[in-house]
Amino acid sequence: MANPLSMYVPIKQDAQSQAIAAQLATQFVSNVQATLDQSQIVHYAKMVLIPNPSGSGTLALLLSTEFDGSMNSYLKFFWNNGSTQEAFAGLAALALVPPDPPVTDLTGFETFVNATNISQPADLYQAYTKTVLQINATVAAEQQPASVPDTADTA
Amino acid sequence: MTSIPAPPAPSNVQGLIVRGYTHPYSTHMLFHFPSRGAAAAFVQALLPYLQSGEDWGDAKPVMLLNISLTCNGIQAATALTSNDLVQFPITFRLGPESSDSQQALFDLGGSAPANWWAKNFKTADLHCVVHTYALDAASMDAIVTHVANAAQTAGVTELFALAGNLRLVQVQLPDEKIHFGYRDGISEPALSWPVEGEPYDSSTLDNFVIGYPTGSPFAPGPSGNNAAGQFAKDGCYNAFRIIAQDVAGFEKFLDDTAPAVTAKLGMSTADAREWIAAKLVGRWRNGSPLEISPDAPDPATCESEGFGYLLDMDGMKCPFAAHTRVSNPRDQQLFPADEPVPRIIRRGAPYGAPADVDPNADRGLIGLFLCGALAAQFELVYGWMNQNTFSQVFSPNFDTQDAVLANRQVAGVDTSFTMPTAKGAIQVTLPQFLTTRGTAYCLLPSIASLEAVAAQAV
Repeated sequence: MANPLSMYVPIKQDAQSQAIAAQLATQFVSNVQATLDQSQIVHYAKMVLIPNPSGSGTLALLLSTEFDGSMNSYLKFFWNNGSTQEAFAGLAALALVPPDPPVTDLTGFETFVNATNISQPADLYQAYTKTVLQINATVAAEQQPASVPDTADTA
Repeated sequence: MTSIPAPPAPSNVQGLIVRGYTHPYSTHMLFHFPSRGAAAAFVQALLPYLQSGEDWGDAKPVMLLNISLTCNGIQAATALTSNDLVQFPITFRLGPESSDSQQALFDLGGSAPANWWAKNFKTADLHCVVHTYALDAASMDAIVTHVANAAQTAGVTELFALAGNLRLVQVQLPDEKIHFGYRDGISEPALSWPVEGEPYDSSTLDNFVIGYPTGSPFAPGPSGNNAAGQFAKDGCYNAFRIIAQDVAGFEKFLDDTAPAVTAKLGMSTADAREWIAAKLVGRWRNGSPLEISPDAPDPATCESEGFGYLLDMDGMKCPFAAHTRVSNPRDQQLFPADEPVPRIIRRGAPYGAPADVDPNADRGLIGLFLCGALAAQFELVYGWMNQNTFSQVFSPNFDTQDAVLANRQVAGVDTSFTMPTAKGAIQVTLPQFLTTRGTAYCLLPSIASLEAVAAQAV
């Protein structure tokens, strides 16, 4: 079963911050691809620019993912990884209300992620129950020649 | 590169963190603070018995205690504000009933939080656990009486975890065993201090004690130079978990599955029962690890720790889902997001009359699982137990469970347990052996922080 994370971070409105936000969103996938591949728990992830109501500029950044397992148990992996730590640090640096105190360690990172998360496990619709590991294993098996399964006596 | 700071002073760390007391008597008493003044007076009265991590030499205390506080307890007992408390890890703040924690703990069915503490109180009302220890029954009675009287005098409310308003009292079982008959407490982290330039080790003390940025990936926090960081420094988290054990159900399971083993391997029913019991845990009931003593328990190996699993990658000695192989996979390669293997300091004790004394008694384990990061250590391992997703070798479909500890109602899991043998694998279906009676996420604060609580003039 997957769980959702929807980090909603209203951002600063100055021109430089707006430009950095656009760049962050554009480069998000290429920057975190390798780390998310390695994690084998993330189904999907995207960074979305939420436009201002006026239609001009960006109101907020939304980092939206679906992942397997307990979120906080696995934040250590993303905090201790350079590319995802940079992506999260970039989000924090642009925040209209920056984390106080600044995020400098795992505990602060957990606090920032949870404080900006606006979705809960019960909010998520999912069409399937398989985990990323199970899906990848199925795909890998389909790409291999068929083998005879080991048999076991059942008590 | 992070330089290694000096270790914490043992005199400022609660003793339970750095050593497993071998006192045969313990009682774990639960409390609610109605006010900061009441909390201060209560803790003040307990200070004479508060045990630090200092070496007691030959003068082993006849009675002693340690104190755990929940996040609500810290809020009730200190001047820390909501803005201060938000610096603590969210897993600690929200407690084990939170939706994220339950994605790891999976307390479902009879284990559901709504049923915890025998419905005597709500987890949110639990502020403090006093862990009392004694060398003999009279001393146990004396210190429990002292704590109860201190609570009454201070106006602190005692809470009761078990049905019938019973306290959590350790029962004396032979050979440090738990109710399922296994010797417990064999594998514990070394708790040495890291050395500059040495490879990272998840069993060193800096992975558990808050406030020492050594580069540990678990980074126990809060570690900031602020009110929360100062209160938490030299503390350690305590996942306090009461787990009932269905001894009759466990023994029936051994009875029911022994014939298949007898038929396959030709051993006696009695030997088959013990063989299955060993396969479930990864150790014989005397403690001998299957990796070293695969064919029979051996008194010489009952405390053995020097082994890995890399020479048993088909599970012929120890099945992959055996409890000790899941809870501590040792040298096996994990998926990157699960590395490194977290270690947990276990300070538990059995409660409840043995089955041969009172078949109807509630019995199980008073679990004190100490860690520096509740989510990244305790809950990560608990998640592994509920679904073996952490390594390629454990579960081909990543859906099997710990043979003993998991909740069998987790959606989508495979509750079968496979025991490979040279004559073919034997597969059984695992029942529910355990029921969670209650869980609280606590902090074992430093001695200085507890003294500061006691010194408050409110």
